[in-house]
Amino acid sequence: MVRSPNDYRTDVWVDWCPACGNYGILAALYKAFAELQLDPTSTVIVSGIGCSGKTPHFVKVNGIHTLHGRAIAFATGIKLANPNLTVIVHGGDGDLLGIGSGHFVALGRKNLDIKVMLHNNRVYGLTKGQASPTLSKGLKTKSLAQPNIINNLNPIALALVSGYTFVARGYSMLSEHLKNLIVAAIKHKGSAFIDILQPCATYNDIHTPEYYRKRVYFLEEEGWNPRVEEGEESDKLLNAIKKSFEEERIPIGIFYQNTLKQTLEESYSQRIPSYFKILPPWQKIAKDDSSPILDEKLFEKMFEEYIVKVEKG
Amino acid sequence: MYDDILILLGGPQGSGLESSAQILSKAFARLGYGLFADREYFSNIKGRHSYIHMKVSSKGLPLSLSYPVQILCAMDAETVFTHFQDVEDRGVIVYDLSTLSTKYSAIPSIEPRLRERLRTSFSEFGLDGSISSLIRYLRAVRKTRFIGLDYQKILSEVSQKFSLSPGQASRYLSSIIVGSIVGLTGLSLDAVGYALASRFTGREQLIEHNMFIIESVSKAVREGFGTPYELEPSATGLEKMLVASGNDVVAMAKIVGGLRFQSYYPITPAADESFTLETFERLEVDGESLGSLIVTQTEDEIAAIASAIGASLSGVRSATSTSGPGFSLMVEALGYAGQIEAPVVITYYQRGAPSTGQPTRGGQSDLLFTLYASHGEFPRIVLSSGDHVEAFYDTILALNLAERYNVPVIHLLDKFLANTIATIPLPEMSKVKIDRGKTVFEKPDFKRFDLARPVSTRTFLGSNIIQWAAGDEHDEYGHIDEDPLNRREMYEKRMKKLENMDSEIPLEDRAVFYGKEDARLVMIGWGSVKGAALDAVKEMEASGIKCGYLHLKMFSPFPSEYVKGILSKFKPESLVAVEHNYLAQASKLVRQQTGVSVENSIVKYTGRPIYSSELVKALNKILEGGGRVVLDYGA
Repeated sequence: MVRSPNDYRTDVWVDWCPACGNYGILAALYKAFAELQLDPTSTVIVSGIGCSGKTPHFVKVNGIHTLHGRAIAFATGIKLANPNLTVIVHGGDGDLLGIGSGHFVALGRKNLDIKVMLHNNRVYGLTKGQASPTLSKGLKTKSLAQPNIINNLNPIALALVSGYTFVARGYSMLSEHLKNLIVAAIKHKGSAFIDILQPCATYNDIHTPEYYRKRVYFLEEEGWNPRVEEGEESDKLLNAIKKSFEEERIPIGIFYQNTLKQTLEESYSQRIPSYFKILPPWQKIAKDDSSPILDEKLFEKMFEEYIVKVEKG
Repeated sequence: MYDDILILLGGPQGSGLESSAQILSKAFARLGYGLFADREYFSNIKGRHSYIHMKVSSKGLPLSLSYPVQILCAMDAETVFTHFQDVEDRGVIVYDLSTLSTKYSAIPSIEPRLRERLRTSFSEFGLDGSISSLIRYLRAVRKTRFIGLDYQKILSEVSQKFSLSPGQASRYLSSIIVGSIVGLTGLSLDAVGYALASRFTGREQLIEHNMFIIESVSKAVREGFGTPYELEPSATGLEKMLVASGNDVVAMAKIVGGLRFQSYYPITPAADESFTLETFERLEVDGESLGSLIVTQTEDEIAAIASAIGASLSGVRSATSTSGPGFSLMVEALGYAGQIEAPVVITYYQRGAPSTGQPTRGGQSDLLFTLYASHGEFPRIVLSSGDHVEAFYDTILALNLAERYNVPVIHLLDKFLANTIATIPLPEMSKVKIDRGKTVFEKPDFKRFDLARPVSTRTFLGSNIIQWAAGDEHDEYGHIDEDPLNRREMYEKRMKKLENMDSEIPLEDRAVFYGKEDARLVMIGWGSVKGAALDAVKEMEASGIKCGYLHLKMFSPFPSEYVKGILSKFKPESLVAVEHNYLAQASKLVRQQTGVSVENSIVKYTGRPIYSSELVKALNKILEGGGRVVLDYGA
């Protein structure tokens, strides 16, 4: 059976605001899944809290809607327990880079094969438009009482220095381009990050479609080669970081892709040869009579170092 | 000949005391003796005073400690100053001759309050504050026997004999202590050899050097003092024993129970359990693999519990292990597990609290916290264990109950258990069953939160089913739903699991009463109180006073009817709460759940274990006039 983008829709009503950037992200997601013909039973979307957090309910693959900032942490356990799953995290800028920044950095270090989609609209939408970690200092979006008093962070640069091996930026209104990025991220083996710029039609009156239309350009059209070959790691990384600080013109596309690094699950499998052989959820832990597979004899062998044989006097 | 002996060995943290305890416990176990050894230490890597307090028994497997001890082995002067009051009259103190002129006032690591207490004692005794003056005094007044050894000389002999640098030789300091205990108790060198071979498998030189010191020191001690503390031959009747810390027992049980994922963030006194699990991650026996165990160190405790819940959704038995500060961070995710009905086990080793509290000391002040942690209402299981044997079976029970009821299970332990090495019988696997609850892997129109019954059928991510889950209130499929009637039904579905659990979980897993109806005093306690309480019952009975002990194990769901049934047989004034916290928290819960008011309490919150000796004194005091007794014995 060939799945079309529509086959990935649930019948849950999508309750984002009209003109929300999330619609473009969702459309790109359906198309990417269809292009990859992802098996819904072995695909998992994990989300945090906020508008982006609702994403899993609209997609007919497994969906785990978790806590504010913690989606990556839940996804980590999901993926490590079953490395065959395709695990995709959706979170907002407040979620992934504010309350959840520790997990965001940690995932980069691990290079665990999880894809992170940042719904970056620079405000906390669902709580009525407070400044998020990606809103620049001095800007006053619609609902702020005063201009933002805190500096913004650069998600691409943070992902790069954290160790993500696939780092890209997309724009929600350029759905086909975004779809291609999502496909590339899912195909990549390792921690992948896409910073998805999106307007917030209700609360962000600065970063509007008009704002982005004037600034966005395609990296690939300017000859940017993100792929790291042997020996190029630090040069490519530094160039990508530098590129990520362009603000007047906003580059989108793949900034950096490094396929030379081992993933965390590969490192585990090197240490524990049976890890990939029978996936942990399907390993037998009990015999047919419900007794543990580790019977008394095996227990004594496994834990020999703790067992003392009493000398008969 | 003695049935039991109590020994205290002390020295600076990081000088090998822990491995001394392991060697001694294996050597005593080799001869069939039961052993119970508590490790007390500061939150410090090297230099501060630490000690091992152990009981060795020929009659059974000891479960508690008491004072005074018969033998004190001191690696340094600080140990003598800190513990001389702990030694019985005519007891033995082994010390280093080079410390004779050392005064307590010159030891910077002694804390101000102890220094003050020493100043008071020394001026009372009319002493100058040196070890030699103390020896003279104790010899005269308490008939203490002193064994002075020249530690430096012994080490330089080792260094010469095996051509070691002084630095290398100094690492064998703790063997002098082991050797003196071997000498004083008449422990056989064969047993010591067995223990060394088991501790240092394949490191022949290390075994040889240690054995050389132990043999020569024990010989010297025996020649000078005989064998004053020879033990009766063992009557424990066991052919094999497990010798392990509480951390290690829990790790072994998790492996038996089929754990496939453990996440943790480093914290005392829980991290050792995860280390042990990681050692066995290949789950191999004779080169054959029984599966794989992923042990993962996360960026914080929030990620630890979140990833454990994630792993559980993927269908593996998962757990995280922590202590109070870590659990505080886990609370939001605990509620999430309750809301999405995900099985997960949190192994919780309590330590001195609140805040950083006493990181390396024990306590039981988190009971009420574990019962009520998180906003909102949801069913949870809170299960505690009183000793190593209980901890083993309860660990597997926790894994079973989590999956049977799709609830978070908090397995409440403490530092005392975590760090105590005990001898226990090998686990009987006939007592162990694996219960994974109801699962389904293929079903059209699967409703993860089917309202038909309180406990819904679970599936695994990656099976042939698609599932959703949300911390938001949700419909039967797991999609957000704010309808008031759906809310009511879904809320009730979850909460009704409490009734299921209450009616189905066997009472013997939830509370045990030791004693008879004619007891004059009944103690009510939980966790590590068990050992001291049962030993106190014996001692009280030996002096003609019948006592009982109600051991509470499961606090949610609380065995209200059972507890009420037992306690109502006694007068309120004969009930005594015994706990390691200020409020006597379990007794508050007893009152809340049963209406029975526990009139008396014996509490301790110094971070040191309750000793049966001080508990007996306190019980006698309660007999005289009731009330509250606060215990504080122990350095």
